[in-house]
Amino acid sequence: MIRLDNVSKTYKNNVIALRDVSVNITKGEFVFLVGASGSGKSTFIKLLIKDEEPDDGDIIVAGKRLRNLRNWRVPSLRRELGCVFQDFKLLPNKTVFENVSFALEVIGKPRALINRTVPEVLQLVGLGHKFEAYPHELSGGEQQRVSVARAFVNRPRILLCDEPTGNLDPTTSVGIMKLLDRINRTGTTVVMATHDQHIVDSMRRRVVELQDGEVVRDQSRGVYGYGA
Amino acid sequence: MAPRWRYLLAEVGMGLRRNLLMTLATVVTVTVSLALLGVGMLIRTQVDLARTILFQEVEVSIFLLDSVTEQQRADFEKELTNNPQVESVIYESKEQAYEHAQQIFADDEAVLDAIEPDDLPASFRVSLVNPENFDVVRSQYVEYPGVDEVVDQRDTLDRFFALMNQVRRGAIVVAIFQLIAAAALIANTIRITAFARRDQTGIMKLVGATNWYIRLPFILEGIAAGVAGALLAGGLLLLGMVTLVSGMREQIQFVPFIGIPQVLAVLPWLVAIGGGIAAIAAFLSLRRFLDV
Repeated sequence: MIRLDNVSKTYKNNVIALRDVSVNITKGEFVFLVGASGSGKSTFIKLLIKDEEPDDGDIIVAGKRLRNLRNWRVPSLRRELGCVFQDFKLLPNKTVFENVSFALEVIGKPRALINRTVPEVLQLVGLGHKFEAYPHELSGGEQQRVSVARAFVNRPRILLCDEPTGNLDPTTSVGIMKLLDRINRTGTTVVMATHDQHIVDSMRRRVVELQDGEVVRDQSRGVYGYGA
Repeated sequence: MAPRWRYLLAEVGMGLRRNLLMTLATVVTVTVSLALLGVGMLIRTQVDLARTILFQEVEVSIFLLDSVTEQQRADFEKELTNNPQVESVIYESKEQAYEHAQQIFADDEAVLDAIEPDDLPASFRVSLVNPENFDVVRSQYVEYPGVDEVVDQRDTLDRFFALMNQVRRGAIVVAIFQLIAAAALIANTIRITAFARRDQTGIMKLVGATNWYIRLPFILEGIAAGVAGALLAGGLLLLGMVTLVSGMREQIQFVPFIGIPQVLAVLPWLVAIGGGIAAIAAFLSLRRFLDV
């Protein structure tokens, strides 16, 4: 589903973000990407959505070799991916329903399909009663649920999450993790960058640890730190 | 695609309202530049029209001396009529010349007072089979008894037309600079709008909206400003036509003037140029600032 072969990436200011990274993630896996700030987690995610280009190595996502993917084909790649970020990225002037339906509208989905799937996914994330609320009327956890709903509404094969619990308190984070787990159980591959030790330790899923852009650990059913 | 159209209209409307002042400046600049361009195009139409018609009417004037005898005049007329180079001959006596002048300057008391019936010479107005042969005809008749002067009226007209062409070129050069300014303003307006909506565009890119889908509202916004400017410029030209040219038409009756149909014929060009330049400016601005 996701495969990186000897991928390296150096930014223009000579900061080395990734160094010879090879990771293979199969369909339906749940993978934590851990490491300190600046270890390359965000670059990892950006490379997968072809927001950045690697200097070296090959990346295959959802059957597409990104190196050969022409720019005008990038939208078709992104329609197979859902993205969740630390800062939610909701549009403040749109309601919960509109924020989610927006993701379908702008890729040209018919209104009938939108009216059917958006309520479904909002039910799934536990916001069935807040269609008409605006983001500023929601708690952080609720906002992140909207963001997850938006990422998942088009039923992507892969869900990429960059610090999705970074702005949330521990209790709320657990709720979001349960949601991501539920989505993972529908067969969706989930990759989550995080430095939330509690979450990683309690979920016991595959852990890929980055340090200064290198993979220093790749462990199934792992925990955040070494040796635990 | 009902939702899509509603989305587009809402986006374009919001973008235009959000920077009302900037939009106003853009539309005004587009209007001025396209109006100038229109003036340039219309002067050309005017010159072409006047040239065709005036050249048909007036080609060569042969002025006679006041001392010309009736016999000389009759011989000369026969000579002209028999010349294969000559297509038609009209004789204008001193009295007719005076009447003609009174018509032309009907509104101009000062000129009327200054002209005495005896001032204007009698003349033959000659049109040639081939107007280019003026020099031949002139050398034939300039020494003829009773002839004062042989004048190629096209010379006079051509000087006038040359002047008009200078005005036209000037108008078009200024119009081009104005259009560049208008394009820069449109690009800047789009940049501001794109910046204001960068969150939304970011999400659109993230969920896989195509680049054209993202660009379209911005480009339509630019085109709206361009077309609005073109229509306003058309309005200005019509206004100018109604006030200025109608006045001239009454003053100068022997010159044919362009009218509203010619202005309407220019309008599609203005709309196409205004819309086209706006679309290109918007497109380049998006490439530069939105990376789509």
